[in-house]
Amino acid sequence: MIKNVIGLDPEFKDYASKVESEINRGISKICILSVINESAETGIHGYQILRDLEEQTNYMLIIEEGTLYPLLRKLEEDGLIKSHREEGGRRRNYYSLTTYGKKVFNYLAGFYSKLIEAIGSLFDVNVDLKQDRYFFCPMCANKIKLSNTELKFCDACGYNLENDLSTRGLKKE
Amino acid sequence: MNEIRNVNVENMIKSYLKDVKKALPDWLKEKKEHNEILADLEEHIWQKASELSGNNEPTEESIRLAIEHMGKPETIAKEYKRRGEPKVYITKEMWPLYVKVLSIVFAVIFGLQIFGLIVSALTGLVNFWEMIGGLVAGIQNGLLFSFTIVTVIFVVLSMEGYFPEDFQSKKDQKKQRELVEQAAEEGLPISITGKVVKPFIKPIGEIIGGGIAIIFGLIFFIQPFPAVIFFPEFLLLLRGFGLIWITEGCLDISRGIIGNHHPEKHQVIHGFLIVVKLAAVPLLVILMNQPEIFPLFSEAWVHIGIPVEFYDEYRGIVAIVIAIVCLTTIEDIYRIVKLQKYKY
Repeated sequence: MIKNVIGLDPEFKDYASKVESEINRGISKICILSVINESAETGIHGYQILRDLEEQTNYMLIIEEGTLYPLLRKLEEDGLIKSHREEGGRRRNYYSLTTYGKKVFNYLAGFYSKLIEAIGSLFDVNVDLKQDRYFFCPMCANKIKLSNTELKFCDACGYNLENDLSTRGLKKE
Repeated sequence: MNEIRNVNVENMIKSYLKDVKKALPDWLKEKKEHNEILADLEEHIWQKASELSGNNEPTEESIRLAIEHMGKPETIAKEYKRRGEPKVYITKEMWPLYVKVLSIVFAVIFGLQIFGLIVSALTGLVNFWEMIGGLVAGIQNGLLFSFTIVTVIFVVLSMEGYFPEDFQSKKDQKKQRELVEQAAEEGLPISITGKVVKPFIKPIGEIIGGGIAIIFGLIFFIQPFPAVIFFPEFLLLLRGFGLIWITEGCLDISRGIIGNHHPEKHQVIHGFLIVVKLAAVPLLVILMNQPEIFPLFSEAWVHIGIPVEFYDEYRGIVAIVIAIVCLTTIEDIYRIVKLQKYKY
């Protein structure tokens, strides 16, 4: 973001932009997974991923377009996402999460949510984790939807959730 | 006019994609997959340009902007090269192959030096100390040179994002995948490099072998035979060899007891074995240079010694034994390297 600002002290600009890139690199991966997760049924093509990312993050998280495809390839190589090419027409490549990718994403989403909640006070911001819709595993921070009625164990670490859910009055009988 | 414009627009995209293809790492260019990558980029540019033009009809200007947004071909290629987990300039994925190649090169250099030593010993053109000096200098220079070359090659390959499987044929890759799937189903161990691993030692064999070595070592060390018929220097050397065999036997038994676990402990033991085996070399060199102490008896158990005219043959035989001892250490080096893949 600071890269586009003209007239700054070059040393400050270089340093700030380098740290900004480092932060963005880690966040980009999880945000891309999140956008793909939202289009779980139909899949989503590369261009739309970027558009959704920009719009949903209010143009704060901007991934350089050329770097998106190497990142998608890496995620596919790691078994987190799968792709299929459109038959006929524009022959666009559609991406969707694999079962393993979904598991990894839920864990990372939980961990990241808890992390930003924890560090929020450092920057004087409040983070609402929407605990009425999600439950975060006390053992590993995995993000679990409360709408899942079969919920007994954390699918990331195997922790027995029943007691915690009962204590918080979240267990559905 | 519109047709000319379309040709220009298509040429701009083609030229950009050509530059991207050129910048991509070689391992990716060798795979058909790179066509898919270029197709994705092309599709993206058209879509972006359509949007930027405002009327769904890409113009030269909108294509130029879309390409600009896509970034430099080198930046895109750099992302594809960002592959693997870094481990001291060489990626974790390339590390086992690096160690393997380095070990093979070291073993070959070591073998060639030993061969040179044998030839020198047999021809007798140089004296003992010159031979040892030549051996040490040769090994040192060879190892240093090969280490530098191999390391530079692997650093470059890591920077380019190569993985060991990029050097395998598709057929071998498929076979490897099938083996791993089968092993996963059978619950067999799979190494960090994703390969199926077999048990690395036969514990009973190691224990029996170690026991035999200890028995012979004890005989040599205790010397339960009439010592008077041997030269004292020879008996002293025999004690030295006995001690070496006992130590070697104990180390083999330890490996047998540890069994197919703790590969790192086996690696340490092999390291000790190399030192123990090489400890025999100075004793053999002393034996080689003193043919007169080597026992050779007449039928009446009278020490008659090796005839002087056979001294050269005797020295040659001992030199071969020295070479064999040194070569057996290569086996230990090989096992240390091989055990690396069992650390999972």
